[in-house]
Amino acid sequence: MFDKYMVMTRGFQNVIQNGQITGFQMKVRITYYRGVFLPLLAGFDVTVDGENFKPEQMRFTLGSHTYTFDEVGKAEKVHWDFGVPATLTILKPGGLKPGIHDVEVIQTVKPSYMPPSGFTGRMKRKITLVA
Amino acid sequence: MTRKEFLQTLTAAAAATWVQTGNARAQTAKPEFKRGVTFYSYQEEYYTHAMTLEDCIAEVASMGAEGVEIIAEEMVPNYPDPPEAWVEHWHGLMEKYHTKPSCLDTFVDVYWGGRRNMTLQESVDTLAAQMKLANRMGFKVMRPTTGPVRDAAPAMIEKALPIAEKYDVRIAPEIHAPIPTKGRYIDSYLEIIAKTKTKHLGFNPDMGIFCKRLPRVDLARHMRDGAQEKVIQYLDRAFQDGVGSEERVAAVRKMSSAEADLRAAAMTGGYGPITNNPKDLLDIMPYCYNVHGKFYEMTDDLQEYSIPYEEVMPVFIEGGYSGYIDSEYEGQRSTQDFKETDSCEEVRRHHVMMKRLMGEA
Repeated sequence: MFDKYMVMTRGFQNVIQNGQITGFQMKVRITYYRGVFLPLLAGFDVTVDGENFKPEQMRFTLGSHTYTFDEVGKAEKVHWDFGVPATLTILKPGGLKPGIHDVEVIQTVKPSYMPPSGFTGRMKRKITLVA
Repeated sequence: MTRKEFLQTLTAAAAATWVQTGNARAQTAKPEFKRGVTFYSYQEEYYTHAMTLEDCIAEVASMGAEGVEIIAEEMVPNYPDPPEAWVEHWHGLMEKYHTKPSCLDTFVDVYWGGRRNMTLQESVDTLAAQMKLANRMGFKVMRPTTGPVRDAAPAMIEKALPIAEKYDVRIAPEIHAPIPTKGRYIDSYLEIIAKTKTKHLGFNPDMGIFCKRLPRVDLARHMRDGAQEKVIQYLDRAFQDGVGSEERVAAVRKMSSAEADLRAAAMTGGYGPITNNPKDLLDIMPYCYNVHGKFYEMTDDLQEYSIPYEEVMPVFIEGGYSGYIDSEYEGQRSTQDFKETDSCEEVRRHHVMMKRLMGEA
């Protein structure tokens, strides 16, 4: 439902640790009509400039806590609220160059009343990395 | 007495009540229910911050409507345990706008996203926390959605009944498309009512169960998403011809292997079925505690394109339904890809239609 609002421009940036760029980040919001406890979040399929990333290369940060997607699957008491941005970090040495990037993100949420394939939101857009 | 006979006595008792008052009611025909809105209708405006919770409540009041239904996980901060200050704010808004809490919509995600299944006790504990929240917020009715739409959840609901009594919240599972208006889903809950004599279990019918044709806004969306015209035309006709949902999916599989076509076929399973007769609700009317006035498209002459409201509303009037009918706009997901959503305008049209069918000016 809220596909076109999923990825924000604010927060699209590289991640620098100990002087090295270890990856890049983007702020994402849920595309489903309610917030969910984290295990309902199946994950994200991310492709940037034609390069597709695996779940093992991703981290999910909500508030002050960062999770792998295995941990997301077990965080039954953590609620990702409707409309609240979370940070998706993609581990990629060197990150992205400043400039325009083709970003495609597919988000899958699995509420129990839906069939096993779950609910997907798809966003494809160009986002500019400033720094 | 067999289970079947037991059930028959229950629905016969309900029907008898209706027959007694129904004939008198047919003459006087004054609705005992009131209009409301579920804020599912305003989801997009709320998400984009075009509307706050207060704006949504103000909009309801501006239509002379009273009922406010919310989805707990959409709007309640620190769900399921909001700060007391927020709950007080909520009650203040109800008072300020002369609205009343009609129903709290919740979810018991028993499959934990496919990771593991909730135990029965966990599901009951989840319902308990939700009913505590409902009680804090002044909701007398709660609609929990659990596993697959067609499957009732009698075990967890029955176990939660003592807690429902404690918090004085009626549990009203939804009769949502494509559940048949006569069948196992409804019977499994009627059995519990008959066995326990509880006053805290009933139903929340969603008017999408009475679709006489597929919403054209949805079919148009599927075509924009790549479904072929011949597939869409088939689905449209087959639905109206009473072809069952599995048969329709099988037929489309023979026509195409394209994802967009198969998705369209699968999604049409979420309406009707066409065999549902509004009068079927009379048998269970005493147990209907909330109603979703589902709509997908209000035409310029103020009709719902797919659902015959002029047949459905009289049934609620004759049956003496005394809860809320809460407008539930679901058309935005079919049109938000190509046009600006205006949920408030759509809901207003729905209320003008409801007022007309309720005999109001």
